[in-house]
Amino acid sequence: MSRTPTAVAQRRIQSELRDWLQHPPDGCRLVQYDDLHTWIIELQGPESPCQPQLYTGETFRLRILFSERYPLEPPEVTFVPPSPVHPHIYSNGHICLDILYDGHNGGWSPALTINKVALSLRSMLASNTDPRRPPGDADYCARMRGRSPKETR
Amino acid sequence: MSDYGDSDYEEMSMGGDEGGYSDDEGFAYSDQEEGVASPVAKSSKKTFIVLDSEELRERLKAAVVQVVDLLCISDAEATRALRFYKWDLTKLQEDWFTDPDAVRQKVGLLDEQPSTRRKEETCKICFESYPVADMASARCKHYYCKDCWSGYVQTAIDSGPSCLDLRCPDPECKAAVPRTVIMAVADAAHKKRYEEFAVRSFVDDQRQLSWCPAPDCQHAVVSLSDRLGVAQDIFCRCGNAFCFNCKEEAHRPVDCETVRKWMIKNSAESENLNWILANTKPCPKCTRPIEKNQGCMHMTCSQCRHEFCWLCQGPWAEHGERTGGFYNCNRFKKAVEKGEVDEQEQKRQHARQSLERYMHYWQRWAENDSSRKKALQQVDKFRGEQQEVLSERTATPTSQLKFIVDAWMQVVHCRRILKWTYATAYYTFEETSGATKEYRERMAQHQEFFEFNQGQAEHYLEKLHHKVEKDLSRFLKAKPQPGAEGDGAGGSGEAGPSGSGDAGPSGSRDQQAAWNTFREQLIGLTDVTRIHFEKLVNEFEKGLDEALKEYDAPMEDEDPGASAAAEAAAAAEAAAAAAAAAKGKAAAAPSRRVTRSSKRRQSSQDDPETTALEEETGFWQCRHCTYANDLGDKVCSVCEQPRDATGGR
Ligand SMILES: [Zn+2]
Ligand SMILES: [Zn+2]
Ligand SMILES: [Zn+2]
Ligand SMILES: [Zn+2]
Ligand SMILES: [Zn+2]
Ligand SMILES: [Zn+2]
Ligand SMILES: [Zn+2]
Repeated sequence: MSRTPTAVAQRRIQSELRDWLQHPPDGCRLVQYDDLHTWIIELQGPESPCQPQLYTGETFRLRILFSERYPLEPPEVTFVPPSPVHPHIYSNGHICLDILYDGHNGGWSPALTINKVALSLRSMLASNTDPRRPPGDADYCARMRGRSPKETR
Repeated sequence: MSDYGDSDYEEMSMGGDEGGYSDDEGFAYSDQEEGVASPVAKSSKKTFIVLDSEELRERLKAAVVQVVDLLCISDAEATRALRFYKWDLTKLQEDWFTDPDAVRQKVGLLDEQPSTRRKEETCKICFESYPVADMASARCKHYYCKDCWSGYVQTAIDSGPSCLDLRCPDPECKAAVPRTVIMAVADAAHKKRYEEFAVRSFVDDQRQLSWCPAPDCQHAVVSLSDRLGVAQDIFCRCGNAFCFNCKEEAHRPVDCETVRKWMIKNSAESENLNWILANTKPCPKCTRPIEKNQGCMHMTCSQCRHEFCWLCQGPWAEHGERTGGFYNCNRFKKAVEKGEVDEQEQKRQHARQSLERYMHYWQRWAENDSSRKKALQQVDKFRGEQQEVLSERTATPTSQLKFIVDAWMQVVHCRRILKWTYATAYYTFEETSGATKEYRERMAQHQEFFEFNQGQAEHYLEKLHHKVEKDLSRFLKAKPQPGAEGDGAGGSGEAGPSGSGDAGPSGSRDQQAAWNTFREQLIGLTDVTRIHFEKLVNEFEKGLDEALKEYDAPMEDEDPGASAAAEAAAAAEAAAAAAAAAKGKAAAAPSRRVTRSSKRRQSSQDDPETTALEEETGFWQCRHCTYANDLGDKVCSVCEQPRDATGGR
């Protein structure tokens, strides 16, 4: 699935990159983008309005893999382990968030950007008060070893 | 040929097609079903309409046009609104006239202006700038270029029928993507798929519409029944007969639940432990399990040759006429009465009885099912090659041979009804231990009544089946008639002698006469069989209690003056009842019932005394429905067919 993005996709990724560098979203830093096919983003653990402060002071790494048909298809977004402990994030870094998937129950839209995805993930962390993994985490990780999270859809 | 005409018959057998979709809905629709429609549905009101793909599309269009006219909105908006409301026009209309803005919000029918008046906009997908004229929106303020639209729309279509609910790509925006945009940006293949999804949804979302479940059939059916959720027989143009409610094979007059139970039972019963329990017993001497496979109670062990009684397990030497013969055992009965038989034995007896009961009904169910399947093959065969052969041999144009297909289809239809009456009888007349005496007596009465009518219907069906199968083959083998069209040398060479030495002009005249008689008899028998099955089905659907009440009610309420008919037809009646009894179906019903029913029952078909009877009794019996009409009437007061004693129709 991670073949080289088409010319249209390349142009769009270039535009997103330009935007990002001009106005980077809060608490996010683009640490690798020289290869336009993969981005690595560093995410600061957000200051949470609620107690306990689960992720404050921590840093996580997100890997963005653009698909060939981006943005008609969603990018593949995962945390580089160790991933934040969260009921919607598996220990292998796979994330359970509807905007990252298309198809029947998916919420991806080509009008979404990596900027918006990163912000959604930070607010997902900020609102969490339950330091737990999803149920069946170990089984899931064993089953999904080396596979894309999109394959579960 | 007298006045026998195609058009006349066509009307008779196909009837019920005149009604279109209810007028108040404004759908002008005319149906052209072929002759495979239910032969039984002849005189009853139309209860469903079969639609092919083209008709289905037209109906969808008509629904949209109606909403356009009613709500004064665009085509595309009407399509979305209807889909959102699952094509429920009434509900949509109601909501719309209560609060049109709320409906617009819910469905996503926006009417926003672009946020800027600029000549150029940035496409929110590819981030490039385009002149607004080259872009499109879902009537919201979010503009996208044509390429991005087509990628977005085609991706959605590829992912399935949810593309019908496609919204603006902006995640915050609820604007519905109108059909016009889809048609403007998608390629031909995707447009076609989109339209197919729309038609699917049109059928799937409406309770009164259903696809024909036959594997290769593209037809849909509209049920006009006001009782959805109960069994309804549908006869598709492809020849498939199915139940609208449960999609199983058609099964009137049996309800869907009984069909389901019966099918499950059939698949489970073969491996049922009951069978082993009921059918084997250890030999009282050597304990080898001995299987009982006949009705006789005299068992001989296959291992030690010990002879014993199946019921009491005593030595057979102590049995004989005194103990009740080969099929019974008084010793066992007495032991049961005294409570000397152990529980295991009683259970065994009970299991055996209920298994035998089930086998009784199952065998009849299965026999009728296989007869039905064979009859269907016969129809195909007839439509295939036989029709041409027969046309040539009897000098009859194929257009006038339709009565044979109709007879076959009647057989198919009635075999199916009959088959299901056996399944339903199994459940209806189940033994009910612990029921009151009154209840058991009433059930026995029901059963007697039901089996009597079932036996009657079956009797005519057997006659019809025999005639269309055996008698027809005589004409298929007959020599071609001189002067028949296409009287090729090959044809006459192949034909074998028909056994009646029918060479020469007089022979062919005989043959012609025999053919005419056959045709008249077959048409008459088809009608009579249909009437008997209609009656059986109606009684069943009415409920046996109700039907019995009507039957036993005083005669005057229904047919004043017809009682004379009763006696006249009683002879034929008795014969029919005897035939049924001889088949082990049903004993003759109580005399009152016999008398009562006789005036409706046929006898004229092959009864040469009818004319004499007419004079004597003062009525004429309708050839079509067997009703006894006053001699003054020219037309049957039940089926409205002319009296026409010559038999021509
Ligand atoms: Zn674009
Ligand atoms: Zn929008
Ligand atoms: Zn069909
Ligand atoms: Zn059903
Ligand atoms: Zn033995
Ligand atoms: Zn005995
Ligand atoms: Zn009549």
